[in-house]
Amino acid sequence: MANRFCVSLTHSKDNPDKATVGFVVANAAVGSGKETLVFLSVEGVRLAQKGYADDIREEGFAPLRELMDNFAKAGGTIYVCSPCFKKRKLDENNLVAGAAIVGGAKLVEFLSEGSPCVSY
Amino acid sequence: MSASAPAPRAADARWDAGDLGCGDLVLELRWRMDALRPGQLLELTARDPGARADIPAWCRMTGHTLITEQHPVYQIRRKES
Repeated sequence: MANRFCVSLTHSKDNPDKATVGFVVANAAVGSGKETLVFLSVEGVRLAQKGYADDIREEGFAPLRELMDNFAKAGGTIYVCSPCFKKRKLDENNLVAGAAIVGGAKLVEFLSEGSPCVSY
Repeated sequence: MSASAPAPRAADARWDAGDLGCGDLVLELRWRMDALRPGQLLELTARDPGARADIPAWCRMTGHTLITEQHPVYQIRRKES
Protein backbone atom coordinates (compact mmCIF):
# COMPACT_ATOMS: atom_id res chain seq x y z
CA MET A 1 0.00 0.00 0.00
CA ALA A 2 1.41 3.38 -0.97
CA ASN A 3 2.26 5.63 1.95
CA ARG A 4 1.59 8.79 -0.05
CA PHE A 5 -1.55 10.42 -1.35
CA CYS A 6 -2.16 13.35 -3.68
CA VAL A 7 -5.24 15.48 -4.19
CA SER A 8 -5.18 17.58 -7.35
CA LEU A 9 -7.48 20.57 -6.97
CA THR A 10 -8.28 22.94 -9.84
CA HIS A 11 -11.11 24.97 -8.34
CA SER A 12 -11.70 27.69 -5.77
CA LYS A 13 -14.67 30.06 -5.75
CA ASP A 14 -15.60 28.98 -9.28
CA ASN A 15 -16.63 25.66 -7.69
CA PRO A 16 -16.52 25.90 -3.89
CA ASP A 17 -18.11 22.46 -3.57
CA LYS A 18 -15.16 20.80 -5.29
CA ALA A 19 -12.67 23.00 -3.46
CA THR A 20 -14.16 21.95 -0.13
CA VAL A 21 -14.44 18.25 -0.89
CA GLY A 22 -10.85 18.21 -2.10
CA PHE A 23 -9.63 19.29 1.31
CA VAL A 24 -12.03 16.95 3.12
CA VAL A 25 -10.48 14.03 1.25
CA ALA A 26 -6.98 15.39 1.81
CA ASN A 27 -7.72 15.46 5.53
CA ALA A 28 -8.92 11.86 5.34
CA ALA A 29 -5.56 10.94 3.81
CA VAL A 30 -3.40 12.86 6.26
CA GLY A 31 -5.59 11.61 9.09
CA SER A 32 -4.92 8.06 7.91
CA GLY A 33 -1.18 8.55 8.25
CA LYS A 34 -0.40 9.24 4.60
CA GLU A 35 2.21 11.74 3.45
CA THR A 36 -0.34 13.95 1.75
CA LEU A 37 0.03 16.54 -0.97
CA VAL A 38 -2.61 18.93 -2.26
CA PHE A 39 -1.62 20.20 -5.69
CA LEU A 40 -3.34 23.48 -6.50
CA SER A 41 -3.49 24.45 -10.16
CA VAL A 42 -5.66 26.51 -12.53
CA GLU A 43 -8.28 28.38 -10.39
CA GLY A 44 -7.28 26.31 -7.36
CA VAL A 45 -4.15 28.41 -6.84
CA ARG A 46 -6.27 31.22 -5.41
CA LEU A 47 -6.77 29.08 -2.29
CA ALA A 48 -3.08 29.51 -1.52
CA GLN A 49 -3.64 33.19 -0.74
CA LYS A 50 -4.20 33.97 2.92
CA GLY A 51 -7.76 35.10 3.51
CA TYR A 52 -9.14 34.00 0.15
CA ALA A 53 -10.91 30.90 1.50
CA ASP A 54 -12.30 32.64 4.57
CA ASP A 55 -15.80 33.04 3.14
CA ILE A 56 -16.11 29.63 1.48
CA ARG A 57 -18.63 27.68 3.54
CA GLU A 58 -20.39 24.84 1.79
CA GLU A 59 -23.55 23.55 3.43
CA GLY A 60 -22.91 20.24 5.18
CA PHE A 61 -19.16 20.79 5.44
CA ALA A 62 -16.81 22.55 7.79
CA PRO A 63 -15.68 25.97 6.55
CA LEU A 64 -12.88 25.61 4.00
CA ARG A 65 -10.53 27.79 6.04
CA GLU A 66 -10.90 25.38 8.97
CA LEU A 67 -10.28 22.37 6.71
CA MET A 68 -7.13 23.97 5.30
CA ASP A 69 -5.86 24.94 8.75
CA ASN A 70 -6.36 21.38 9.98
CA PHE A 71 -4.57 20.01 6.92
CA ALA A 72 -1.53 22.20 7.61
CA LYS A 73 -1.64 21.41 11.34
CA ALA A 74 -1.57 17.68 10.53
CA GLY A 75 1.56 18.11 8.42
CA GLY A 76 0.01 18.20 4.95
CA THR A 77 1.85 19.86 2.08
CA ILE A 78 0.39 22.20 -0.51
CA TYR A 79 2.10 22.66 -3.85
CA VAL A 80 1.01 25.67 -5.88
CA CYS A 81 1.41 25.60 -9.65
CA SER A 82 3.86 28.36 -10.47
CA PRO A 83 2.64 29.37 -13.95
CA CYS A 84 -1.02 29.29 -12.80
CA PHE A 85 -0.09 31.50 -9.84
CA LYS A 86 1.89 33.97 -11.94
CA LYS A 87 -0.81 34.17 -14.61
CA ARG A 88 -3.25 35.39 -11.97
CA LYS A 89 -0.75 37.89 -10.57
CA LEU A 90 -1.11 36.58 -7.00
CA ASP A 91 1.16 37.46 -4.08
CA GLU A 92 3.89 34.93 -3.31
CA ASN A 93 4.52 36.65 0.03
CA ASN A 94 0.98 35.96 1.22
CA LEU A 95 0.77 32.15 1.16
CA VAL A 96 -1.22 30.02 3.57
CA ALA A 97 0.55 27.67 5.97
CA GLY A 98 2.10 24.62 4.34
CA ALA A 99 2.04 26.06 0.81
CA ALA A 100 4.97 26.28 -1.57
CA ILE A 101 5.07 27.52 -5.16
CA VAL A 102 6.53 24.83 -7.38
CA GLY A 103 6.97 23.89 -11.00
CA GLY A 104 5.70 20.71 -12.55
CA ALA A 105 8.87 18.78 -11.74
CA LYS A 106 8.03 18.71 -8.01
CA LEU A 107 4.61 17.19 -8.70
CA VAL A 108 6.08 14.69 -11.14
CA GLU A 109 8.71 13.72 -8.57
CA PHE A 110 6.11 13.18 -5.83
CA LEU A 111 3.84 11.07 -8.02
CA SER A 112 6.64 9.14 -9.70
CA GLU A 113 7.94 7.91 -6.38
CA GLY A 114 4.60 6.13 -5.98
CA SER A 115 1.39 7.91 -5.07
CA PRO A 116 -2.26 7.62 -5.98
CA CYS A 117 -3.89 10.89 -7.00
CA VAL A 118 -7.51 12.00 -7.00
CA SER A 119 -8.62 15.12 -8.86
CA TYR A 120 -11.29 17.68 -8.12
CA MET B 1 -14.25 -25.56 35.33
CA SER B 2 -15.43 -23.95 32.15
CA ALA B 3 -13.66 -21.39 30.01
CA SER B 4 -15.20 -17.98 30.06
CA ALA B 5 -14.86 -15.01 27.77
CA PRO B 6 -12.58 -12.25 29.01
CA ALA B 7 -14.40 -9.50 30.79
CA PRO B 8 -15.05 -6.45 28.63
CA ARG B 9 -12.35 -3.89 29.15
CA ALA B 10 -13.26 -0.40 30.17
CA ALA B 11 -12.26 2.26 27.70
CA ASP B 12 -9.40 4.57 28.62
CA ALA B 13 -11.02 7.37 26.65
CA ARG B 14 -14.32 8.02 24.99
CA TRP B 15 -15.17 10.31 22.11
CA ASP B 16 -18.61 11.03 20.74
CA ALA B 17 -17.92 12.24 17.21
CA GLY B 18 -21.60 12.89 16.57
CA ASP B 19 -22.27 13.27 12.86
CA LEU B 20 -18.68 14.00 11.85
CA GLY B 21 -17.64 11.98 8.82
CA CYS B 22 -15.01 11.48 6.14
CA GLY B 23 -11.87 13.58 6.61
CA ASP B 24 -13.24 15.51 9.58
CA LEU B 25 -13.82 12.28 11.46
CA VAL B 26 -10.55 10.47 10.79
CA LEU B 27 -8.30 13.51 11.22
CA GLU B 28 -9.74 14.22 14.65
CA LEU B 29 -9.61 10.48 15.39
CA ARG B 30 -5.91 10.46 14.52
CA TRP B 31 -5.23 13.27 16.97
CA ARG B 32 -7.21 11.57 19.71
CA MET B 33 -5.42 8.24 19.19
CA ASP B 34 -2.06 10.02 19.16
CA ALA B 35 -2.91 11.40 22.60
CA LEU B 36 -3.33 7.90 24.07
CA ARG B 37 -0.54 5.65 25.32
CA PRO B 38 0.25 2.43 23.43
CA GLY B 39 -2.30 -0.27 24.25
CA GLN B 40 -4.94 2.10 25.53
CA LEU B 41 -8.50 1.76 24.34
CA LEU B 42 -10.68 4.45 22.78
CA GLU B 43 -14.42 4.05 22.59
CA LEU B 44 -15.64 6.00 19.60
CA THR B 45 -19.21 6.85 18.79
CA ALA B 46 -19.55 7.86 15.14
CA ARG B 47 -23.02 8.20 13.68
CA ASP B 48 -22.04 9.09 10.12
CA PRO B 49 -23.18 6.23 7.85
CA GLY B 50 -19.76 6.19 6.19
CA ALA B 51 -18.13 5.26 9.49
CA ARG B 52 -19.14 1.61 9.04
CA ALA B 53 -16.67 1.32 6.17
CA ASP B 54 -14.23 4.07 7.10
CA ILE B 55 -13.31 3.07 10.65
CA PRO B 56 -12.17 -0.48 9.74
CA ALA B 57 -10.27 0.91 6.72
CA TRP B 58 -8.64 3.57 8.88
CA CYS B 59 -7.55 0.96 11.41
CA ARG B 60 -6.04 -1.22 8.67
CA MET B 61 -4.06 1.73 7.30
CA THR B 62 -2.85 3.13 10.59
CA GLY B 63 -2.12 -0.12 12.43
CA HIS B 64 -4.49 0.53 15.31
CA THR B 65 -6.64 -2.45 16.27
CA LEU B 66 -10.39 -2.43 15.88
CA ILE B 67 -11.54 -4.45 18.88
CA THR B 68 -15.29 -4.19 18.48
CA GLU B 69 -17.62 -2.55 15.97
CA GLN B 70 -21.29 -2.20 16.67
CA HIS B 71 -22.21 0.89 14.73
CA PRO B 72 -22.23 3.61 15.92
CA VAL B 73 -19.86 2.40 18.66
CA TYR B 74 -16.31 1.29 17.91
CA GLN B 75 -13.55 0.23 20.30
CA ILE B 76 -10.05 0.87 19.01
CA ARG B 77 -6.79 -0.08 20.71
CA ARG B 78 -3.84 2.21 20.12
CA LYS B 79 -0.89 0.56 18.39
CA GLU B 80 2.35 -0.02 20.26
CA SER B 81 4.43 2.58 18.44
